[in-house]
Amino acid sequence: MTRAAFSYDFPHRHLVSVADLNPVDISLIFERAEHWRAVNKTPDKSSDALKGMTVLNLFFENSTRTQGSFEMAAKRLGADVVNFAIAHSSAKKGESLSDTARNLAAMQPDIMVVRHSATGAPQFLAERTGLSVINAGDGMHQHPTQGLLDVFTMNRHWGSVGGRRILIVGDILHSRVARSNIGLLSMLGADIRVCAPPTLLPTDIDQWGVDVFHDLSEAVIGCDAVMALRQQRERMSGGFIPSGREFFHLFGLSHDTIRRAKPDVLVMHPGPMNRGVEIHTKLADDPKHSVIMEQVENGVAVRMAILELIGANIRKEAAA
Amino acid sequence: MSSSFAITNARLVDPASGHDGPGGILVENGLIAQIGEELDLNSADEVIDAGGKILAPALIDLRAAKEPALTPDGENQSSLAAGAAAGGFGTVVLAPNEHSPLQTAGGFAGMTRALGQHGVRVLSAAAATQDLAGESMAEIGLMAKAGAVYVSNGDNPIADTQVLRRVMSYASQFDLWLSLRAAEPGLSCGAVATESDWSARYGLPSEPTMAERIAIDRAASVAALSGGKLMVDRVSTADGLAAIRDARKRDIEIAATSAIAHLTLNEVDAGGLDSAFRIDPPLRVEDDRRALVAAIADGEIDAIVSDHRPTPFDDKGEPFALAIAGTLALETLLASLLALVHDEELSLVEALRPLTAGPADLLGLPQGRLKTGAPADLVLIDGDTPWVCHPDDFQSPRGNSAWAGRRFIGRVTQTFVDGRSIYNYNG
Repeated sequence: MTRAAFSYDFPHRHLVSVADLNPVDISLIFERAEHWRAVNKTPDKSSDALKGMTVLNLFFENSTRTQGSFEMAAKRLGADVVNFAIAHSSAKKGESLSDTARNLAAMQPDIMVVRHSATGAPQFLAERTGLSVINAGDGMHQHPTQGLLDVFTMNRHWGSVGGRRILIVGDILHSRVARSNIGLLSMLGADIRVCAPPTLLPTDIDQWGVDVFHDLSEAVIGCDAVMALRQQRERMSGGFIPSGREFFHLFGLSHDTIRRAKPDVLVMHPGPMNRGVEIHTKLADDPKHSVIMEQVENGVAVRMAILELIGANIRKEAAA
Repeated sequence: MSSSFAITNARLVDPASGHDGPGGILVENGLIAQIGEELDLNSADEVIDAGGKILAPALIDLRAAKEPALTPDGENQSSLAAGAAAGGFGTVVLAPNEHSPLQTAGGFAGMTRALGQHGVRVLSAAAATQDLAGESMAEIGLMAKAGAVYVSNGDNPIADTQVLRRVMSYASQFDLWLSLRAAEPGLSCGAVATESDWSARYGLPSEPTMAERIAIDRAASVAALSGGKLMVDRVSTADGLAAIRDARKRDIEIAATSAIAHLTLNEVDAGGLDSAFRIDPPLRVEDDRRALVAAIADGEIDAIVSDHRPTPFDDKGEPFALAIAGTLALETLLASLLALVHDEELSLVEALRPLTAGPADLLGLPQGRLKTGAPADLVLIDGDTPWVCHPDDFQSPRGNSAWAGRRFIGRVTQTFVDGRSIYNYNG
């Protein structure tokens, strides 16, 4: 499908939650991501889609991959990129988030990419500053670009995720990635399963429209994709599981545990991986199943698509 | 004001006796001298025609906070008293909190005397444990001698059951209530929301409502063990109410308060993650709010508290999950409660009892009732005036109100303490 087929333009100037998107928005993002993915494979990657714009990377939590991915995406689109690692500066001096945001906004950037440990921080910044905000992960709430790149990766293998059986294994409770993925996958008609010990499931999981399993060998049966989540050690207080070793034996992905899935099952992980805790190192590196590096590659393309679409809307508003 | 005056042509509402009908009051020397439709007006120096407005005992709040002395731009004793008077309160009790733990026995009498200088009767509770840490007892006895009206551990539960037992047992010799925030520490630690579909989807740190029930069950059993009096501070859930009912069946001396926020708001109000709705205990689901209102109607909750908490805007300048908890409430409490009366969830007598006779009976205060010989602490309420809540118009220098922008019907027009007018609204 092409943009003309919808006679509909991407309407958003923020991306805070996947709940803001409809299936047509998602198609528009993926259509552009496909384009940028191809461009990224050539030696001539630069574009001037965001020329003249400033993208502010505002990371209140440490991140290597996501921040790097956003930075690369924005630079390839011709934007100026400024990285602020706030974890080490103003917040420590007692400035409120509201003041920090207003000060940064006064420097007239165009797009803020925000990661924060508190749910709602990106929305809060969007409200306080009026700038375009892209959520790069807020607390245990949402990580929409990760969800989009995961679905994009699956779509590229299958054409569509509709009707596909997808299993998410591990720490669902603390995972913003799981919340974004489940939101997108259910909107797109996938058959979603989750598998985790009860201590790592949200209390209202029965209302998420997913099938819940505690036994991995049953959960994997007939799955088209299996996604491991990282143990969110930094968000855990108290014992949710007895040990990493016990978790691996009960819920870890390996060639053995996925043997009852579809033969060409995709194995995914949003990274960073704890090898030997949630995934066996041999499976993570097996090119027959593992699409983990594709996820990383597609991440840049999907983020370029989102930045481009939001940037176009900023230009449109400025012109109007 | 003259030493003798009368208010006539009013709708008298006295929750203590359940009376709600036309009449007036004659005040002499700060006391209520006559009540009824036929007053001896010859002895009155001044007669106020209430024009059919509601005349009730001035309100009593068992839980408010001021900011520490000399806080820049902060709420001080005089702005607190002015806000209370504007809200119809004649008596306000300061409860301990982490900024003002109210644990210094040395200055306690002086503080309570100073608090009395602002028209409104400002009383104080005493800390139960040093720094409210739940470890060693504060000087409860000395503060009781200096006028403390109950004992409280502020917002903190007392985790150590042995400490809880000793505090309750020790406070019982002064016949003081121990007010406890009902939160099971392990389950509630770090929570900013109620465990619900809403909070799970947002991934907010949350506490199950059962944490309140477990805490009340435990504290009630400790009260049975120690012979103390337990005041459940800000019960907020149907589970908590069930625990209170069970305790009453066991003949335990137990009282309960509920905060105005939990009677009039629910978690849906916080749905936009507006930091103004970050409140402790967290806002609950609508079923809990309804259960609380039903408990008010049934008289199961002894007092409605404001849980008034002035907070700098900076503390709300953080996203919901990181914002400091608390809202201003003294100036909007009555109006937000009247909304429940207008919606016929409560009668006027039911709504006012936990703000007058209820708390007065808990603390053994003579005010809070329309009775010959009682102090003339009175409030005149125009039940039909519409107004919009603008925090800029507050007496308080702070603006952190969860009711900002709300439309209300009904407001306080005049407040009296000891027969002296301490607030008079001039439209």
